[in-house]
Amino acid sequence: MTVTDPALGDARETAAPGVATRILRSPSLRLIVRRLLAAIPIIIGVSLLTFIVLSLIPGNAAQLLLGPEATPEQVEAMTRQMGLDQPPVQRYLDWLGGALTGDLGTSLVSQQPVTSELGVRLGVTGELVGLAFLMSLGFAIPVALLAAYRPNRLFDRVSMLVSITGLAVANYVIALLLVLVFAVQFTFFPAIGYVPLSQGLGENLRSMLLPAVSIAFPLFCFYTRFLRGDLVDQLQGEDYITTARAKGIGPWQVLLRHAFRNSSFGLLTVVGLNLGTLIGATVIIEQIFALPGIGQLMLQAINTRDFVVVQACVVVFAVVAVLANLVTDLLYAVLDPRIRYGNR
Amino acid sequence: MSIEEMAERTAIVADGGGQPLLEVEDLRVRFESRGRRVNAVNGLSYRLYEGRMLAIIGESGSGKSVSSRALMGLLPGSARISGSARFQGRQLLGLPDREMRRHRGADIAMVFQDPARSLNPTMRIGAQITEAVRAHGDVDKRAAYERAMELLQLVRLPAPERRFHEYPHQLSGGMRQRVMIAIALAADPKLLIADEATTALDVTTQAQIMELLLELQERLGMAIILISHDLGLAATYAHDVIVMYAGRAVEYAPASTLFAAVRMPYTEALLGAIPRLERPPHSPLPVTPGQPPDLTALPAGCPFEPRCPRAQDDCRTEAPPFTEHEPGHWWACYHPCEGSSS
Amino acid sequence: MAIVEASASPALLEEAGQGRVRGWLRHLELAFPIGLLTLIIGACFFWPMIAAVPQPVGGDVLESNLPAFSPGHLLGTDPNGNDVFSRILYGGRSSLVVGVAVNVLGLLVGGTLGAVSAYAGGKIDAVIMRLLDVLIAFPSLVLTLAVAQSLGPSQLNTIFALAFFSVPAFARVSRAATLRLREQPFMMAAQLCGTSTWRMLFRHIAPNITPQLVTFSMLGMGIIIVIEGALSFLGLGIPPPAPSWGNMISQGQQALSATPMLVVWPCVVLFLTVLAFNLLGETLRGRWSGR
Repeated sequence: MTVTDPALGDARETAAPGVATRILRSPSLRLIVRRLLAAIPIIIGVSLLTFIVLSLIPGNAAQLLLGPEATPEQVEAMTRQMGLDQPPVQRYLDWLGGALTGDLGTSLVSQQPVTSELGVRLGVTGELVGLAFLMSLGFAIPVALLAAYRPNRLFDRVSMLVSITGLAVANYVIALLLVLVFAVQFTFFPAIGYVPLSQGLGENLRSMLLPAVSIAFPLFCFYTRFLRGDLVDQLQGEDYITTARAKGIGPWQVLLRHAFRNSSFGLLTVVGLNLGTLIGATVIIEQIFALPGIGQLMLQAINTRDFVVVQACVVVFAVVAVLANLVTDLLYAVLDPRIRYGNR
Repeated sequence: MSIEEMAERTAIVADGGGQPLLEVEDLRVRFESRGRRVNAVNGLSYRLYEGRMLAIIGESGSGKSVSSRALMGLLPGSARISGSARFQGRQLLGLPDREMRRHRGADIAMVFQDPARSLNPTMRIGAQITEAVRAHGDVDKRAAYERAMELLQLVRLPAPERRFHEYPHQLSGGMRQRVMIAIALAADPKLLIADEATTALDVTTQAQIMELLLELQERLGMAIILISHDLGLAATYAHDVIVMYAGRAVEYAPASTLFAAVRMPYTEALLGAIPRLERPPHSPLPVTPGQPPDLTALPAGCPFEPRCPRAQDDCRTEAPPFTEHEPGHWWACYHPCEGSSS
Repeated sequence: MAIVEASASPALLEEAGQGRVRGWLRHLELAFPIGLLTLIIGACFFWPMIAAVPQPVGGDVLESNLPAFSPGHLLGTDPNGNDVFSRILYGGRSSLVVGVAVNVLGLLVGGTLGAVSAYAGGKIDAVIMRLLDVLIAFPSLVLTLAVAQSLGPSQLNTIFALAFFSVPAFARVSRAATLRLREQPFMMAAQLCGTSTWRMLFRHIAPNITPQLVTFSMLGMGIIIVIEGALSFLGLGIPPPAPSWGNMISQGQQALSATPMLVVWPCVVLFLTVLAFNLLGETLRGRWSGR
């Protein structure tokens, strides 16, 4: 995540000729532009790769759609209607052109525009992921701080044992165990199904809690370990911690104002990288809890061979992953003064 | 600073009179981990009077830095500390952290070696100073700002209003060390420990920082402990000098006495390692042969014996006691130098 | 680290030791995961050879859903009358084979790619890294599907699909390690001696980055076994009736309230296996980094 570029160095000497010029020449803005430009080939690459992979699958999608009883004429008409008679390069460019204007095509199965379907689904997945992040960080930060406050004491050892054990539990295993305990044995929560926000926040959260916990628990374990390790490394190895202690300020102030402040940059990076992989984790969790999110949509589309929808979902996943990395880098650049001022 | 000036300085603050500011007796620090034992400090004693500058000189691993951190309670949990260290008559060792904190910064402050690493890279200079100001006493934001400005002017940082809002990496090494000194002075300490405070700086900046410390010492009447591996620095600036080896003091005297007649072969070896203009060009620097002692297993005899040119059989059987052989001049050696070096 | 300048490493000073208990714990943190893995691997691969274990497939439907500790069926049977214990052993075989194969592929291909990329630098490095970025952002699920659809779902195809996941990860680790290595003086010395590129890669870089890659592959084993389970769970991995831990969990889920143990058993072995690999990886990482 180091964004050191000699080209950014000269920004320091920049005088202040005017607000507009200053914003245009600010290292942060140049960084944003540079990173945005770097993200485009990755997203195009992913969409192209998906396209190639999907077109390698044998069998005619029109044939699959119409079923074995369809006459060759019907299949041919369908093929033409779906645009599958075009050469692959042409089809990809058509798709890309549409995608750039916000049109990701029409579902082969439902005949609905994919974009509108994705919008609704993205909301559900977004809520799931957002809740999972809130929960995992909300618990991991205080636990890690308490553990690092007195390293190798009882609380630290117990929390480290819990987190390394918890890291070994797959999220679908947690999901099934949660369903088994809370939805089957005691019926506290609905086992499966989604209640939209329009039917009340309480009900909505009740239906989202178990899936969110399934995703959040491994994350919680990971963040706790990461943050605790980073805090302890700093407390034991960094000179500015000694300086802070030599000032005579209290241990909590040292931990929060000095160590945690610096660790939060590392944590931010990890969270950003996680968001990319997390979106994959939603596929299986949405499947288990029957949540109408984008992961479930992709799995359904895979099973019904609705490749237009698959393609769209893959691109959305890729965009989210790439954007998450981008936003992480940029937040880093805004928050960390060493990068903000263009040198270190 | 010439020798005469130095002698004058020494004369003015001759004995400090009365009670010492800091009295360290038989200080021992041991680190224990995984069954290994590192004896970092092995019975160090000295007195420091108000307004004096004491230089503690030694190689890496001689215990000079560990001993001063022990005073402030800044050692990691694996350190086992024994002995006594009284500051204005009050025992510092063994204080719970809550009480130790009252002394840190307010009574004893510290400046570290590498100003690039000892300032928090993600906090503005101003915030790091005001934090030190507000650590002792109830000071509001405005007053803390005023005090920070005063401190930055005191350490001669150019353009303090601008620097207040900048980050450490935007400052040069010398400026960062000035900021570190400002932080150390925030609560008017009576003792400033400069732990290799000029080692990471270039020679010109080093001299500037040392002059600043001297000036501040006179203005504020602080005592200073100068921790360094550089005997030349001690000769130029300090009133008193302790030379440490393997966690022990091996020679202790007022600077003028010491450099007039070095007794300890180790001190002489250190002096010999300083390049001098008087030597003929291209003559090799004398190098002390051998390794610093293994602190996990110290010998029964003198720890410097394996490297000592004057070693004899008796050095191997028992460590020479550290005693006052001449008025004000202490050393730990059976076969001291004749005292005509330098 | 400047806190303590005694001639000891920082690690030596980092915490209070408790002598014998610590030494004992130090052995345990290596012995426990290795013991657990030996047990699991040994059971999966050798238990069916030395003891009579029912076949994992083709069970008698009349013997379906037997409880645990039934005669002849240690952990009972599933709805198809197949022995659960046997399915766990045979399922473990496929999970472990997939895990090892995917990690070996990742280590060899990804490790080489990363080292070459870092060593070559410049344009080559940039191109390789961009390609890997694309692979990382590409969901393995889709690739698995495509492979499964075109070649039919099988163990081999699962390995192939998951390798696309492990190769970029190993390449990144290897690249980072090589970049650090390049700054070492001995690398410069070797280069100045006119050592050939291949010799540099195999004699100087490879031996130095291998420990890190092997350590990473321990953590990678855990990750791949979990993902393989997920794929099988979604019906995209090892196809039933052949057993795998993932598809056992998936089948058991359909009757979660009636026969929860059908889900619990494979979950427990999955957990223990991943835990053992994670612990081993953590310990190795700690040891290599000089604790």
